[in-house]
Amino acid sequence: MEENKIYEKEHTINENYRQKPKVAVYVCHCGGNISDVVDVKKVAEELSKYHDVAISREYAFMCSSTGQDYIVEDIQKNGINRVVIAACSPALHELTFRGALQRAGLNPYLYEHVNIREQVSWVHKNDKEGATKKAISLVKAGVEKVLRQDPLNSIRVEAVKTVAVIGGGVSGMRAALSVAKNGLNAVIIEKSDKLGGKLNRSGNVYPTGEKAISVAENLSKEVLSSDKIKVYFNSEITFVSGYVGNFQINVKRKNGEYEKIKAGAIIIATGFDNYKPYEGEYGYGLNKFVLTLPEFIEALEKSGPGKFNYNGKDINSVSFIHCVGSRQIDGIDKPGKNGKINEYCSRVCCTSLINTANNLKTKYPDVEVFDIYTDIRTYGMDHESYYKEASKNDVIFFRRPLEERPSVEFDGAKIKIKTKDVLTMNEDMEIETDMVVLGVGMVPNDITDLVEYMKLPKSSDGFLQEVHPKLRPVEVANNGIFIAGTAQGPMDILESLQASNTAAVKAAALLASGDIPLDPFVAVVDEDKCTGCEKCPKECSYSGALTMIEKEVNGKKKKVAYVNAALCKGCGACAAVCEPRAINVAGWSLDQFDAMVEAIAKE
Amino acid sequence: MSTKNTDVLIVGSGIAGMQAALDIGDSGLNAVIVEKSPSIGGKMISLSKVFPTLDCASCITTPKMAASSHHPRVDIYTYTEVKEIKKVSDGFEAVIIKKPRFVIESECISCKKCEEVCPVYVKDEFEYGLGVKKAISIPFTNAIPQFPVLDESKCIRCGACARVCPKDCIDYLQKPEEINIKSKAVIISTGYEITPMDAKKEYNGTKLPNVISSLQAERLLAPHGPYGKFLRPSDGKIPDSIAYVQCAGSRDESIGIPYCSRVCCMYAIKQAMLLSGMLPLSEITIYYMDIRAFGKGYEQFYNQARAMGINFVKAKVAKITEDEEHNPILRIDRQEDGSKPQEVKHDIVVLSQGLVPSTKNFFGLELEINEYGFINQPQKTLSPAKTNIEGVFVAGVASGPKDIPDTIMEAGSAAVEVINYVKSVKVGS
Amino acid sequence: MSKPKILIITTNHSSYPGANAVGQARLSYGSNTYIIRVPDPVMFPEDFYIRAFEKGIAGIIIMSSGSDCPYEGAYERLSKRIQNVYNIMKQKNININRLKLTTICTVCKEAFLKEISDMEKVVQNVN
Repeated sequence: MEENKIYEKEHTINENYRQKPKVAVYVCHCGGNISDVVDVKKVAEELSKYHDVAISREYAFMCSSTGQDYIVEDIQKNGINRVVIAACSPALHELTFRGALQRAGLNPYLYEHVNIREQVSWVHKNDKEGATKKAISLVKAGVEKVLRQDPLNSIRVEAVKTVAVIGGGVSGMRAALSVAKNGLNAVIIEKSDKLGGKLNRSGNVYPTGEKAISVAENLSKEVLSSDKIKVYFNSEITFVSGYVGNFQINVKRKNGEYEKIKAGAIIIATGFDNYKPYEGEYGYGLNKFVLTLPEFIEALEKSGPGKFNYNGKDINSVSFIHCVGSRQIDGIDKPGKNGKINEYCSRVCCTSLINTANNLKTKYPDVEVFDIYTDIRTYGMDHESYYKEASKNDVIFFRRPLEERPSVEFDGAKIKIKTKDVLTMNEDMEIETDMVVLGVGMVPNDITDLVEYMKLPKSSDGFLQEVHPKLRPVEVANNGIFIAGTAQGPMDILESLQASNTAAVKAAALLASGDIPLDPFVAVVDEDKCTGCEKCPKECSYSGALTMIEKEVNGKKKKVAYVNAALCKGCGACAAVCEPRAINVAGWSLDQFDAMVEAIAKE
Repeated sequence: MSTKNTDVLIVGSGIAGMQAALDIGDSGLNAVIVEKSPSIGGKMISLSKVFPTLDCASCITTPKMAASSHHPRVDIYTYTEVKEIKKVSDGFEAVIIKKPRFVIESECISCKKCEEVCPVYVKDEFEYGLGVKKAISIPFTNAIPQFPVLDESKCIRCGACARVCPKDCIDYLQKPEEINIKSKAVIISTGYEITPMDAKKEYNGTKLPNVISSLQAERLLAPHGPYGKFLRPSDGKIPDSIAYVQCAGSRDESIGIPYCSRVCCMYAIKQAMLLSGMLPLSEITIYYMDIRAFGKGYEQFYNQARAMGINFVKAKVAKITEDEEHNPILRIDRQEDGSKPQEVKHDIVVLSQGLVPSTKNFFGLELEINEYGFINQPQKTLSPAKTNIEGVFVAGVASGPKDIPDTIMEAGSAAVEVINYVKSVKVGS
Repeated sequence: MSKPKILIITTNHSSYPGANAVGQARLSYGSNTYIIRVPDPVMFPEDFYIRAFEKGIAGIIIMSSGSDCPYEGAYERLSKRIQNVYNIMKQKNININRLKLTTICTVCKEAFLKEISDMEKVVQNVN
């Protein structure tokens, strides 16, 4: 497979760092914040005697423009090629001082920031001597670190400006549209012959009341008319390879032809499936008047005016049962085929059930409606009004205890539901009904192959697992792969749209400039030292980030560790197992830390 | 008056505003955030831990705050009010007013010396009134920016801060500054307030010392909270019995807030779990109507709380009074086992208040709002972040209550819509 | 004779900012503490700790990010590695209490101080 280039963008202008190290040390007073406790003159003086230190000064405010000018001047006129500043926390001014180095033409990473304010003067107020001694040790350690520092350059990977969207439901369409409007190309890979996914079946959308099918049509019209979106119908993904900026998706079309799609990012919008009750679960499959909610919505939509007639029977009463296949409890509910129960709440069913009950009441006001629940979760802005409307519509609610389940029994043509009811002091109730509707939850779609190809993480509920629900809510651990909509977990249509847009903005930002900047703090291999022992790849958590390759080193073929900078996160787990210290995280090498500890331990 | 040009003006720097700004900046456009408080971070930075992962809220918020403040394409005006936003032919013109901190920001080195010497103590709003701070102080530990604000109304002009300041940057005569912001588009991310403590008269929320707000409880539970412990306000006693009253400010027609606030069940469960870790011997009861644990991992979180022994009682709380020792007394109607009202005593009661919009005045923009003051999204199923005004978008709780993960999703969504909108008008012009 | 030295290994992600929060609050602890920061302590091999003790460090506190750790599987690897270090320490007759693995968040000021005072007690007897 041809690979896109991963290259370093040079920061280095000044080649000084190759010469004998000449370190400049600056100790900041911070207007008394440091100097009231730490004897800054003594620190500077001690450091001026330290090896490889050419200049050691103290100054009132290093962050001021005068302070920064000192640094620039010392680099440009006095041949300084490494800098240590002892001041406040690096969170405040590390970037400021790196900027000064860069302005002076020195690689900005040949810099070490020593925190002697938040971690020295402010915490050792009553121990001036100790604070000064500690500051001296820490600055010496800083010098040791910077002496062993290599210049770093930002790494960039060339990116294909196309986003591949897997799945053409509402989430996939929304994501593709947003990506396309952003100026990128989008490719939708859809396994069926139609866009719209589940929206092609269900009734109306809450809380807008629109027909689901028209929501799907509105989006698909836009998708199909966009010259930036290509849709592959009837297509099956057979393999995914590559990495951020540079994925390749192998697709098998209906006609048996194979095609390769190149993409810089992937959005997974594979959606959900409805929970399928097992035979006999609340009578499902044993009696044709026990329906799942989607089946009922379809039946209701098809039924004519006048009386509600289904399958030749006049329906005078309908009972809705919540939480079928959701909020299951170990030991009470039967596990699914995977041996697991669905502990999670499916989020949409309460509102959807009640919305449907209201639709039923509107169409056939004389039908009696029962609703058996344990908690009503109509959480959305306008959802609560559906609940209220249902009460106004005389829907009769029964609240079962959390750990009790209603039973559905058949007595000839009659259907009887037995349930405990909290609202009437836990009485056993018996409901005679013509029809039972099961509020089935959402389950993950079967995407085993994709999970395998892309090494996608799943959460305990079987849906795809984001890196972090707040920090990186639509990203999976693999760089460049995003989730949109219900592939991640139950959501309603509006929430899916928002989530898909979020996936789109992340993909768009990633590919905005054509090449993707990567953190320079990734593992680097010293191929001379590498013995090819193969220990380090075993420690790596990121698939493909660290592999062994055959390579010619100094005229000899040998096996060495190879880091894919696009996949490495820089945790350093590999460094710990490398005896010859051939692999290290750039900027954080073990040699640096050994020398620092040495400096600290010494008197 | 100085003028600043940008692509997107974002009003509000809570998690929604910050996330939108980051996404916009990362996509190559420029954004200006205007924040009325002295620090960015919104409500989230004041929370203890967040559900369902129990991450420390500050650990999740600070990286976003730092990223926003360091972003080369994001400019932030804190302690700044929006006076007006006008739609003009090529976008929007806003006038913002930077309030005086009485500190020269370009000189300040955040050393807190002024704070140390200031002799005047004032109520600390960041601790929701539970603690005190100095009349000149940096708003809170991890505030960004780390500049102190002088409370002009409380300052006694003793001059101690000015004398001690090593940079001579205390300026008692600093004046408000008006700035013009010209942008192509606007995002409203003004967030929420919790329902007022006196919204439900029967709960006597402002009268009883040991009936506290949910945000006060957040501070008591935070690792850097006002007391460093969970103490009850009236006498500093460590409570043995703690009650949560759910829907205290939501799903209640009588106070004009019939909607569900979406987060209260979960934050109450979270607080209860944190409390049970902190005070293992205490008894914690949650009085509720329906537990709405609907998000990813939430039901599991609820089950975990039940397994930890937190009491969940299906009951409506009709009234709260207290005895002579300030122990709150709850009058409850249980749904289960008997319908007779009961009186129960606890050491401290937390009201699980709902969310209401932080503002109903949108700086002269004629935004459509619903009857509760949340911004309408007229194109929900096509472009959910759009408002009725072209070029104005909404993110987060300004359009209705929602939790942090949903807010972050909406912020991303608003960002992509605003980016695509700005790109389209730029091409057009 | 100076006080026994305590090396504190912090993470960029959480405990280093946590140590700063202690300073911002003007709390205080002994000056025999030396904080270094790393992306993740998982990078240190077992012998790094042993060498530090041999060089004269009296106690080491590893303040990890725990469940907030941004790196996949790193915390599990780290705790396993520290188990190995304990085994080596036992073999070498080094008091295992001189090494402590803990988790410190960005605002865990009290916990930070407590870890130091606990370690102070341990290292008083080290020489």
